Amino acid sequence: MTLRFQPPPPDHVPAERMVDFDMFHIPPGVTDPAEIWHDLVRRGVPDIFYTPHNGGHWVFLRYEDIVEGYRDYSIFSTYQTPVPPIEPFPVVQPQGVDPPEHNVFRRLLAPMFTPIAVRAMTGELERRASVLIEQFAARGECDFIADFAERYPTGTFLYLFGLPEERLDEFLALANTFFRSTDPAERARNITEIYAVLDQLFRDKQRNPGDDIASRIVAARDEEGQPHAWEDILNCGFLLFVAGLDTVTNTMAYVWRYLATTPAAQRHFRERLDDPDAFLRAIEELMRINAVSNLYRRVTHDCTYKGVQLRRNDRVILPNTVANRDPRVFKDPQVIDLEREVNVHVTFGVGPHRCIGSQLAKREIMVSLQQWLRRIPEFTLAEHQDEGSVFGGSVMGFTALRLHWEAAAKAAA
Amino acid sequence: MRVIANHQLCQGHARCEDLCPEVFATDAVEGKVVIVMAQVPPALEDKVRLAVRNCPEGALRVTRQDGAASKGELQ
Repeated sequence: MTLRFQPPPPDHVPAERMVDFDMFHIPPGVTDPAEIWHDLVRRGVPDIFYTPHNGGHWVFLRYEDIVEGYRDYSIFSTYQTPVPPIEPFPVVQPQGVDPPEHNVFRRLLAPMFTPIAVRAMTGELERRASVLIEQFAARGECDFIADFAERYPTGTFLYLFGLPEERLDEFLALANTFFRSTDPAERARNITEIYAVLDQLFRDKQRNPGDDIASRIVAARDEEGQPHAWEDILNCGFLLFVAGLDTVTNTMAYVWRYLATTPAAQRHFRERLDDPDAFLRAIEELMRINAVSNLYRRVTHDCTYKGVQLRRNDRVILPNTVANRDPRVFKDPQVIDLEREVNVHVTFGVGPHRCIGSQLAKREIMVSLQQWLRRIPEFTLAEHQDEGSVFGGSVMGFTALRLHWEAAAKAAA
Repeated sequence: MRVIANHQLCQGHARCEDLCPEVFATDAVEGKVVIVMAQVPPALEDKVRLAVRNCPEGALRVTRQDGAASKGELQ
């Protein structure tokens, strides 16, 4: 990631709170991008510090401050916040606006992602996972990212939006450019393309509504009985497209990477394939330990927070992975305890913008792992892994993850 | 034992429903918690306590029969 600009440290930041930290830079040899964050804690940098990189931003490192950053929208706004700044950036609905405006689209989407709504999707999610896994199960190896972790959530998006399977590659390409491109011109073109696709899609759903989320969004009416502004509909579609792809892909990558290197954990899940409560409890622990999102907020006004002077428009990064290992909140936070009973992780955020798709995301991961373990024997990391396949940033993860297992000589029926 | 929810705090994570669906559900309008069994039967008390302690928003409280917060029940 190239730096847009690197201004001198602002004069309201005291020298003892300045730390040289680039959230996009993963030093050579680091195989887990989350480690750059945990390294800050090990080094004992201030719990609230400022880095001049990526346009300059604060970082909160304590669970209670990260939670406060999500909850207190009177100080920490979600409006137009990317780090480094991209302006103008689409005001996505409802993630990009603060309450009370935020409640309009939040209420529209909430019923579509409740546990009961997500349970109704389970059969289709299972079918989609098994179809993908069958394509490589007999091969004894795969690139977990390209062969599964990217395709699966993108396929889920097609399903939610009532789109045909033939469009998978088109949407994969749009998503890959959106998430991986660092070329500003290409990024701008890409966002225009995504909006053009969404515009066409919602127009089609207006004419031929189906039983899908896109149709429901376009058919929804506001409190005065009027359709929502077309721009907001597109912005909501944009959010649903981008929010559920990279996050799920990389959470899966982390989970499978951990399992590939931890045979006892694989056995733990295998032995609980018929015990959904225990299976979910173990998944929650892997959610805690593999939080891929480092979200941003923008300071609404000059103020003092916990004795630290913040200035209007300062950006703040809230690294969930750090919150999730705060020893003030979690017992033995570095231990991966698949039977952990109390687990108030913030992998999906908290407060008004907590991930609306959290139940769906967990279901996707659970279903995928169940289908995987039913078809693939014990698996390991392949000996050869691609160089430089990790990345940092607002969502961190892997561009490739090669897995290996003993393929059955003749695939069983 | 009774359990109560603060709807101002609830953000619909539904961790409670995951942990104890006998007592907690999620409404289909706002996506927030619905307590389907405010009076918790003894057999479910442990599960409910666990659900309360796992709420990421601290939106659930266990109380005594008379509605007062019981000692040691709060997080």
